[in-house]
Amino acid sequence: MITKQPTVHEGDKMIINRGKALLALLFAFALIAAACGDSGGDEDGSAAGDDDNTETSTGEPDDSGNADSEDEGSAQEVVEGGTVTFAVVGGVRHLNGTVQSGYATAVPGTQVNASPLLFDEEYNPQPYLAESWDVSEDGLTVTLNLRSNAVFHDGEPITSEDVAFSILTSQANHPFSPMFEPVESIDTSDPHVAVISLSSPHPAILMAMSPGLLPIIPKHIYDDGQEMKTHPRNGGDDFVGSGPFKVVEYDAAELIKLEKFDDFFLEGRPYLDEIIIDFVPDPQAVILGLDNGDYDMVSSPNAGAVEQFQGDERFVVEAKGHEAIGQIDWLNLNMRSEALSTAEARQAVAIAVDQPGWRDIVQLGLSSANITGIQNGSPFYNADAPSYEDRDLDKAKELLDSVGLGDGFELDLPAYSAQLPTAEFIKQNLEDINVTVNIRTVPDFPTWASEVAAGNYDITYTQVWNWGDPVIGVERSYRCDNRIDPPGVIWSNNSWYCNEDVDALLDTAGSTYDNDARQAAYHEASTLINQDVPIIYLGKPDWYQIRKTSVQNPPNGVWGFMSPWHEVWLSE
Amino acid sequence: MTDLFLLDGDTVASTKGQALRLFLRNRAAVFGLILLIAILAMTFIVPIWYVRDPGDLIARPHLKPGAEGAPLLGTDNLGRDLMAIIVYGGRTTLSVAAGAAALIVFVGVSIGAAAGYYGRWVDAALMRFTEFFQVLPGLLFAIVVVALFEPSFWTITFAIGSVSWPGIARLTRAEFLRIKNLEFVKAARAIGSSDFRIITRVVLPNALPTLIVSATLIMGSAILFEAGLAFLGLADVNNPSWGLAIGRGRDNININWWAVTFPGLAIFFTVLGLSLVGDGLQDALNPKLRGR
Amino acid sequence: MKAIAARIGQAVGLILAVIVLNFILIRIAPGDAATAIAGSQSASDPELIAELRTEYGLDRPFHVQLGTYITDVLQGDLGTSIWFDEPVSSLLLDRVGPTILLSAAALSFAVIMGVTLGTIAARKPDSLLSHIVTVVALVGYAMPAFWTGLLLLMFIGVKVSFFPVSGMHDVSFDGNWFESILDIGQHLILPALTLGIIYLAQYSRLSRASMLEVLESDYIRTARAKGLSERSVVFKHGLRNGVLPVVTILGLQFGAVLSGAILVESVFAWPGLGRLAFEAVTRRDTPVLLGVLLLVSVSVILANLATDLFYRIIDPRIRVSGARND
Repeated sequence: MITKQPTVHEGDKMIINRGKALLALLFAFALIAAACGDSGGDEDGSAAGDDDNTETSTGEPDDSGNADSEDEGSAQEVVEGGTVTFAVVGGVRHLNGTVQSGYATAVPGTQVNASPLLFDEEYNPQPYLAESWDVSEDGLTVTLNLRSNAVFHDGEPITSEDVAFSILTSQANHPFSPMFEPVESIDTSDPHVAVISLSSPHPAILMAMSPGLLPIIPKHIYDDGQEMKTHPRNGGDDFVGSGPFKVVEYDAAELIKLEKFDDFFLEGRPYLDEIIIDFVPDPQAVILGLDNGDYDMVSSPNAGAVEQFQGDERFVVEAKGHEAIGQIDWLNLNMRSEALSTAEARQAVAIAVDQPGWRDIVQLGLSSANITGIQNGSPFYNADAPSYEDRDLDKAKELLDSVGLGDGFELDLPAYSAQLPTAEFIKQNLEDINVTVNIRTVPDFPTWASEVAAGNYDITYTQVWNWGDPVIGVERSYRCDNRIDPPGVIWSNNSWYCNEDVDALLDTAGSTYDNDARQAAYHEASTLINQDVPIIYLGKPDWYQIRKTSVQNPPNGVWGFMSPWHEVWLSE
Repeated sequence: MTDLFLLDGDTVASTKGQALRLFLRNRAAVFGLILLIAILAMTFIVPIWYVRDPGDLIARPHLKPGAEGAPLLGTDNLGRDLMAIIVYGGRTTLSVAAGAAALIVFVGVSIGAAAGYYGRWVDAALMRFTEFFQVLPGLLFAIVVVALFEPSFWTITFAIGSVSWPGIARLTRAEFLRIKNLEFVKAARAIGSSDFRIITRVVLPNALPTLIVSATLIMGSAILFEAGLAFLGLADVNNPSWGLAIGRGRDNININWWAVTFPGLAIFFTVLGLSLVGDGLQDALNPKLRGR
Repeated sequence: MKAIAARIGQAVGLILAVIVLNFILIRIAPGDAATAIAGSQSASDPELIAELRTEYGLDRPFHVQLGTYITDVLQGDLGTSIWFDEPVSSLLLDRVGPTILLSAAALSFAVIMGVTLGTIAARKPDSLLSHIVTVVALVGYAMPAFWTGLLLLMFIGVKVSFFPVSGMHDVSFDGNWFESILDIGQHLILPALTLGIIYLAQYSRLSRASMLEVLESDYIRTARAKGLSERSVVFKHGLRNGVLPVVTILGLQFGAVLSGAILVESVFAWPGLGRLAFEAVTRRDTPVLLGVLLLVSVSVILANLATDLFYRIIDPRIRVSGARND
């Protein structure tokens, strides 16, 4: 506080006035600068839907990865044009799905890049970039016959060389190494035929050619010796892809704008003019945006959003599609920790955890029981595996007594903020059998992941995805050779489970095309695993979508929105 | 600023009495005091008979206050009693705030006193050090610190304290610079008192009024700071605070506004009380600046 | 002049210290950028993570990483974001505008409203208005910023459709530059209000106290004696001196405003530096975090320097670094 006698000079007045003017100028400048910076320069055309009411021919048969919505009635005329705005929580690093997995990447990624196959609601592969395909008798050769009219966004034709390049890039860089592991070579002598040679039969390979898992990227853009994981063309306004939409505006932190690609290889597709994918920092922004009318469609909103919009006339709220994702919420038990070193102790904890209660209270009922690592929608799911859903506390206490743990013990549970509701719930559950859960808050995901990866935990909560075939998503949690020494890796075999019989069964199941044999092997494996209880399964969340009533034919196949939206259209 | 002569103890008492009377005549300040007393009562006395575990899941989640089976203030996202969370959460919030304020005042006053009293190179060095902390964006730095060392009472208190002391350091320094050249300080030096004695027994008590006012405001901002950190997920879950309660409710505001509103009100009234008391103290001790 | 050179030297030293400190902190943090990237993919592969670490130089010794970074910065290269694979400088440029906008709007609102209210209160110190001003100011200060933001969102943003609820402009915006400005302005209101309320409190109290003092001083009495209107006395003659403390505080609060911006940007999804920095911490994206800190530190130091200079001009009796009452 200035306590001296103030003096007034003309100069002061000038300075103060100048200061005010400067501030005002700065303000105005910043306002204008921000406006120019973010309008992305040229805004092309109107984004509003033109009411064309053109009746399109049904195009080519069998090319639909999106089944017609039964409710919507396929008798409705498709209206071309319009913009769909889609909100995603979080952000993307870039659009290249051959080196990066994840939902946030796959949704825009599957619009700008095409894969050889699509998958419908029954897990049946459908033609997409590949008109037809063939698997040899011995399972060692897969042949893809590509469309001859397919071109990239820059006009260059899509050939078998691009397919080969994409597969090899994925093999070297994609986190899901099992996908293309047995690929030995790809014959590209015919530009429209890719002949893939495998070292052993690999049933997962067809599933691996899904839109989100094998986007076909242009070799002529990427094959310049630069490291694929950090390639400068992985994102950006100048992104060149093979899919029904092309990039017009790109800001990985905020928003991606996609526009219809006129020379897409499927005649008359896509129906929409434009897709805008908006990245928001948290689920609350999604809810507010929906309510405000800013967003046309959202995927996997939190339980509170589902509850709020369920009765709202403006929206369709349903749990459809996305079956292949198979997200399972579970608790890893660290078999290396002393308290949990016996099967009895782990079983007791599994019993004491109130799985149905968790689904009811933490997930507001929007989750179903899933008692193994394979998701309950899969033909390989074993509903008869040993289950711990029945909360028989007496039995649990008996089990603990039998191994001398009747007086209870402590468990360390590292959790970051998004995991806290579950952590707090479990803590309450386990108090009933004298087990004290110490929730160790960690500030964010990387901290949590590094702790769990290094084995610094007793029990912890996470979600693991099936990704279609158990070979791709499930096995890694159970295999003996996937126990990685500290610092370790998250989402590997973090429970430190090892059962050679289980490994053998997984080997069998992963190397034959005979679905019955696979099912038998997976059934037996899950029975064995559930007796050992390395993991407590909480449930499988229903994958909801909320969309405006005007959005028709959303992709509700097994991959849900991680599939091209070329047949989505807007009514009205 | 009223100059107090403190070579003996008498004059302090009568000045204190005067200040007290001025304070009590200030209705706003008294209101603030009442607020604080109420908050303290709620935090330390109410739990004696309202015995609950704020972590217990007592009912359905998201129950509105007044709904069937709902406790007085409703339930939160897991079905916990919001009333219990508010009553018991006060302890954590207030103790973090008090701890941080203590750290801030101790560090800030020490540094400011040394800088102001000794001057020259000591002053220059300490001021550069102070500037370093002023330049760091406080919240961001605290986030980084708490993010690295698990959130606990000590890390959070330390994080808040370590970024908030520059203000009071500069204030103390200014006060010391002003006071050290006054006659009675020179007199004390002349009679051979040690530096330490002069600082603590002569100069500091004169600076006390300003510092006390600052301390109340610091406590208020420490509460807000802690709430902000907890809101971002950096809190000790085993001892929930009001800020943590707001953070928990954030994702479900659309169906549960009370889980966010009530803890926020608790914070609001506490900080308001502290501010009113702080203002009242300032007016009472500096009658010239009052609006009367 | 020598003093100014010395100050600049000190400033550079400060900035270096900030960089080193934060580099050390992030390095100590459990988990690194490779882990964060794995997290974004719902999958991880040990070989891949190792490869990522090598590519981003995360496995090089600490002092090598730090040395490389500092050398690059001195040459004007702020590095590349590990998360986005984009140059840090372009990320900063994208976000600095919105943050400046938000801060400027909030502070302008706070200063103008605050000084006005404070002055009015000072003119009639015992009036009801004065008390209301005091209370409003205190209320604004006592509300946690993010809470205010959430409340505004809940009770106004959702109910009154005029107010957008997140972001800086409409997602499906499609207009000319003028409409763009209006759109941004519309999005700016709630966040700026939220951020500004805290400072409104401070400035109104500060200016009230300062104006009270100023209005007692000699030259004001002279002005009154001269027969000037009360309004002219207060607002023209009194204000130009009464506003000085506010200016001082403004300069010093730069860093604080940025911190406040983190929370408000978080609640309103405002695409500014605050959010960028927070996300960088969560993603262990060291280059981005250091870039933001660098930018902020430089700005704060410049602001301090500017305020110092301003005071030197105002009153040469005040030594730039010395016995100046803050």
